[in-house]
Formats: sequence, structure tokens, C-alpha cells
Amino acid sequence: MIGFNVLGFLISWATFLGIYSILSISLNLEVGFTGIVNFGKVAFYAIGAYIAATVSTYTILMLYNIRAAPYTTEGIIALGKYEYLNPFLDAGLFLLAIVLGFAISGIVGYLLTYPVLRVGPEFVGMTLLAFGELLRIFFQNYQPAGGSKGLMSIPHPLGWLRTPLIKDGLYTLIVLGFLVLIYLYSQKLVNSPFGRLLKAVRDDEVAALCLGKHVPRVKATILFISSGFAGIAGVLMAFYLSAINPNMFMAVVTFNIWGMVILGGMANNLGAIVGAAILTFIDRALTFVTPNLGITIITPDYIRWMSIGLLITLVLLFWPRGMVPEKPVETPPLKLIKKRGDRNEHNA
Amino acid sequence: MIGTNITLEVKEVAKYFGGVRALDGVSIKVPNKGIVGLIGPNGSGKTTLFNVITGFYLPTKGEVWFKGERIDGLNPNEVFLKGLVRTFQIPRLFKSLTVLENVLVTPPRQIGEKVLYSPITSKWVNQEESLVEKAVNLLHRFGLGNFIHSRISELSAAHIKMIETLRGLITNAYMYLLDEPAAGVAYNTARELFTMVKRLRDEEGLAFLIIEHRLEVLMDFVDYVYVLHNGKLLAEGTPREVMNNPKVIQAYLGG
Repeated sequence: MIGFNVLGFLISWATFLGIYSILSISLNLEVGFTGIVNFGKVAFYAIGAYIAATVSTYTILMLYNIRAAPYTTEGIIALGKYEYLNPFLDAGLFLLAIVLGFAISGIVGYLLTYPVLRVGPEFVGMTLLAFGELLRIFFQNYQPAGGSKGLMSIPHPLGWLRTPLIKDGLYTLIVLGFLVLIYLYSQKLVNSPFGRLLKAVRDDEVAALCLGKHVPRVKATILFISSGFAGIAGVLMAFYLSAINPNMFMAVVTFNIWGMVILGGMANNLGAIVGAAILTFIDRALTFVTPNLGITIITPDYIRWMSIGLLITLVLLFWPRGMVPEKPVETPPLKLIKKRGDRNEHNA
Repeated sequence: MIGTNITLEVKEVAKYFGGVRALDGVSIKVPNKGIVGLIGPNGSGKTTLFNVITGFYLPTKGEVWFKGERIDGLNPNEVFLKGLVRTFQIPRLFKSLTVLENVLVTPPRQIGEKVLYSPITSKWVNQEESLVEKAVNLLHRFGLGNFIHSRISELSAAHIKMIETLRGLITNAYMYLLDEPAAGVAYNTARELFTMVKRLRDEEGLAFLIIEHRLEVLMDFVDYVYVLHNGKLLAEGTPREVMNNPKVIQAYLGG
């Protein structure tokens, strides 16, 4: 394999791993911990990506007084000229997009609980799936967001670093930083009385209701948080790729994330990361290897979905609960009492 | 309006599903520390009445009063917070949680259940500690000390029923609605369960309204019995009165 760039591959994989791990952790909060069947995950990812793209490009064009939309040739040329003049502006736009991406995706997720909680649990998935598809078709036809061509020349927050390796490497660290923060937050969240409540709602909604729990509010809260996280993932991806279009947000993205959660383990945040690591590795490896093979009888791309399907089947056959199975909720007093119990057993 | 010694009063409650009159003007009273039975053939409206009392259904007509407050129209979670705890015909426990966790889910207004506080352990750890202690003591008191860390799937039917009842005790339970507590357990176990009910009444001062088909167990433990038939009250009285009532015998035997 001539020309295989190992460092480039690792940076690219780590970035995808970071972004998709955020997505799979957020899906796991809904599906694994709370039992909300979300087939519309991609919608919140798309919202984040489109917020990043529109906010950054329109702001730059406005600040430099260019009277062209970012999707026109004129706009793209102007963006190429002005986008890396001011590093602070680029960084500021990145942070603004992160905040807006989290907040707006989160609020949309929260508002969606209104229809979602009024249909039976079996229809929640379909409702959200339909929402995701509708949103994609909307973006396809919404000219200010670039229509079917999407938006290009999204200013990279570290664009002033002209060396691609340093730029991408540092950006990967930023992405992994967000992943670490979100992972630690989610771990704290699920290992608390709130996490216990989530699992109770997942196991039996009616019983939770009968124990005085405000089940709709619990679901709305978790949809706000996890949709906000998906929004952050979208923002990170838009700045990384520097171009987005509606075709990136097909329903298949959602099922890819589902695959990660199923592989890694339902209701386990670490499992979500493991699942994301495996599937993004397959994805990146095929992307890097394919061009180096030249002409082959079967493009490795064709085996992408087959291999993922086979992997999920095998994992479910041998580890039905995923590679990293669910762990009980561990609040400090519970940990203590368990330890004491174990010691008593040893003494006996 | 309501006597001070009445815990629950159902007044002329009706519930129609289209043309079906599942409940048609039912009135019952449960006194403080009373153990009251609710019997009747299948489809007579017993569970519908429970659903009306606990807020799952809005009554078509009538009122439900609990401790001097009107509770019809409240949501099920709000009814629970008033101190009215319900168990189900098929016990509804949280399958993936341990026995201890099932009890720990119950207390309302836990600081750690608030999403903003839950990641900050120091905010809720003290409350959690005292709840764990309370829950462990409760389980020990009723002979479940060995099962604290067991999963629900590892327990017997009788223990599952006990835990479903006991978990309400960690909070402000004031009255229980039990839906067929003795269904599916052996005769002796059923008697044990009802003995526990009596113990809860005597030690905790709780009131009970119990749906039960196994009259041979029920009648030894209740103070008063209501008989439902086709959505209406057919008879009421002490167990002995009800058992000797020819109308009741006819309804049960379908004469």
C-alpha cells in the first residue's frame, strides 16, 4: 500500500471517533438508559451542523461587507479570501456555534417531546424518523442554507495554522476534549439517583408514574440533553469537513449510530465509545484503503454495510448485551454497602 | 364534608367507555386504618375503580376524596404524592434494578433526581446515604435482608409482591390499593402476605383497599367488604354478612 499516510489516518480516525462517540453516547442516554426509541438522531446532528455552517459563513460575509450569499460563487470566493484573516474571529464563531448548536438542538428535542409523548412507545421511533427525513428535505429546498448543494467554505477555527497536520491534529484534540467532557458528565448523570430514575422509566413507565415520578418531564429532560450533545457533534463535524450538504444527513446515519450502541453495549457510556471506535475504524480504513487499491473487482466500499451487519450479528450471538454490558447504578453509599456485603460474605 | 375518620371516599363514581358502563354510580368508604375488601366477578369494574382512584382514568361522573382532599382529575404521579400507593395484579417492579434500588427509586423529591444537581455528588450524597440506610432497615424488618442486592428476576413471586408493597413504606404512604395480592401464590404464602398487611396496618397505621378473588384468604383479614357486579355495588357489609348474602352467591355462581 504505497502512499498510506498513517498519521493522517490516525488523526482522521480520532476525529471521527470523537464526533461519533458523542453521538452514540447521546443516543445511549435515550435508548439505553431511558428507553426512548430515537430513530431521528440524525436530525439533531444536522441542526448542529447547519447552525455551524450558516452562523459562521453569514457572519464573516456580513463583517467584511460582502453582499453575496455564502452559497454563490462570489460568496465562496469571498469566504476563501477573508475567512482566516482573524484567528480570534474564527475561534469566536466556533464557540458561538457550539453554544447555539447545543441550545437550539436541545430545545428542538425538548419541543419534540410534545408530539412524541402523545403517541405510544412503538410510534416514538417512527415519529422521530419522519422528523429527521422532513428536516433533511427542508434543508434540501431551503435556499439560504444552500439548498441541495449545501454550504462550503466553513471557516476552520484553526484555519490560520496553515500546516494541515498541525491544524487537524489540534482540532482532533479539541474534539476529543469535548468527548471527554461529555463522557464524564454522562457518567456522573447516570451514576446518580437521576440515572436510577432513568432506568426505572425504561423498565416500567407505568410503575414509575405510580411512584410519583413525572415521567414526561424525565423524558423531555433527557431529550434536551442528548439532542444538545448531538448538536455539538454536528457543529464539530461541520467545522472539520468545512462543507456540508443535505445528503450527509440521511436516516442511515441514525442507524449507523444505533449500530455503535448495540455493538458497544446498551446503557453503558464506555460501550458507546467502543462501538463508535469500531465502526468509525471500519469506515475510515475503507476510505483510506480504497483509493490505494486501484481498480478492483469489488470496491471495498460495497462490503462496508455488509461487514457492519455481520459484526452486529456476531456480537449479538456471543455477547447479547454488547461488548461492554450494562453496569448497575453506583452512587457512593451503594458502592459502600456493596463492599461491606462482599466482605461479610468473605468472612462467613 | 368528610368525616375525620374516613381516609378514602368514592362518591357516586361512574365511568363509561362509549356505551359500556364499566362503573355506574359506585360509592365506597375506607376508614382510617381500615382493611376493606373489594370483590366481584371478572369484568365487574374492580380494576376500573382502581384506575379512577389512582388517576389513570377521569371519572365520567362522581368524585373521589382522599384525606379530605378531592383527588379525581389528578395525574397518577400526583395521587401517589398524596400518600396513596397502588400495586398491580401483575407486579410492576423495575426488572433491571436490584431490590434495594427498587425501594430507593420510590422516595419523592430526591435532590439527586434533579437533573441539574445529579452530576454534583456532594449535593445529594447525604440524602442518598440516609435513604439507603432507611431502605436496608425496611427490607431487614420484613425478612428480605438477604435479597438486598438480588435482581428482581431472581426472586419468588411472593417476594416480588412483598417488595412492590413495601417500597411505598419508605415514603409518606398513607393508604394502599392492592390489586389481587394473593393471585398466583400458594395458600400459605397468601396468608403470609395478608398477615403482613395486618402488620402494616397495626404498626404503620395504614389503610387498605384490596381487590381479591381468593375469598378464603381475604375474608379472614378484612373488616368490611364491597361487592361489585356489572359496574354497580351489589352488596356491602362485614365478611360474614356478605358471604351469606344470596345475591352475592348468585353473582359468583352465576345461578
